[in-house]
Amino acid sequence: MSRPGPAQVGHFDPDTIRRGALACLPLLPSTIIFGAVLGVLAAQRGLSLGELLFMSLTVFAGSAQFVSVDLWRETVPSATIIIATAVINMRYILIGASLRPVFRGRPLWVKITGMHMVADENWAVTMTQKDLANPGFLLGGGIFLGVVWATGNTVGYLLGGGIPDPEVYALDFAFTAVFAALTIGMWKGMVDLSPWIAAAIGSVIGHYTLPGTWSILAGAGAGVLVAALTWREDMDDDSLEAEFAVEGRDAYGAQEGAAVTETAMETGK
Amino acid sequence: MTQFPDLTSFSLEAVLTILGMAAVTYGMRLGGLLMADRLPQHGRWAHVLERLPGAVLISVWVPSALSAGAIGIAGAAATVITMALARNLFAAMAVGMVLVGVGRYFIGN
Repeated sequence: MSRPGPAQVGHFDPDTIRRGALACLPLLPSTIIFGAVLGVLAAQRGLSLGELLFMSLTVFAGSAQFVSVDLWRETVPSATIIIATAVINMRYILIGASLRPVFRGRPLWVKITGMHMVADENWAVTMTQKDLANPGFLLGGGIFLGVVWATGNTVGYLLGGGIPDPEVYALDFAFTAVFAALTIGMWKGMVDLSPWIAAAIGSVIGHYTLPGTWSILAGAGAGVLVAALTWREDMDDDSLEAEFAVEGRDAYGAQEGAAVTETAMETGK
Repeated sequence: MTQFPDLTSFSLEAVLTILGMAAVTYGMRLGGLLMADRLPQHGRWAHVLERLPGAVLISVWVPSALSAGAIGIAGAAATVITMALARNLFAAMAVGMVLVGVGRYFIGN
């Protein structure tokens, strides 16, 4: 028996893209303000607005851009900036890996086009969607954040200052809050408990002992290690349904047959 | 602030630097996905991969909540609790941010 596979929702369905964009709406104020702060900094460091926007849309990674623009001088220290970007963005290897179920069964060109506009925020929002996790949903969030980010850059660059301090309105806390809230949606059961505790401890230790964003890698590494060590054969049954189903159908790692049908029936397909 | 802002000049070294940044970043995004595609779909690796997003997410926000001080920890706790009860992202973020904003205003960091 082959997979019970009604036609997949299109790769980049306009309606899904729109829903993905709307799902990132809570991030609008903080993204625009931080975008503006980066714009002010870029003007001071001698980037042109065109160069800044080019960076925002090709690199599309906030924290790496802040560090890079801060390092920017009249003679651009290219190697330093590129290496710093690589180190800060190393978490995207993990983020990319965790997107496997979203791109399951999609052709290579969808992966190539869908993986560019991936920021921490639209990734996290997409990963916590129960039934509509889809490359279009991810892309919709990415496009929305990219437009808002670039708009903020432009406003900050042109004003050259006078941007409200994000801390006053707790806008800096918006990113902490969104990631903390979305963690709830990632809970799949007790199997998550020990890897999560390990990740929290690892990231806190990393935060106090390592520079910059290495704490993310330390925490994720600790979580992965504990997950690998605590795995047992009999966990596989769990993980069939624990992994969120793409479009409520193809359970992650599901074998063809009964298990798939069961999952499919539960989600009403 | 007296001169008109520089809008459209593109220096070669700036463009090349930005392209380098973009290439390493995109390479890691796509590379992570393609590597994961080659991992087994069952067993230990699949289990580890399922735990990965939660571990990454926690590692992103736990240290930043800590570095925001006691008010940051309280704000994160309030956010998590609101989300667990209300399952509403807007509400959870609002509760956390208002708590942190008000806390900073009255108590400072």
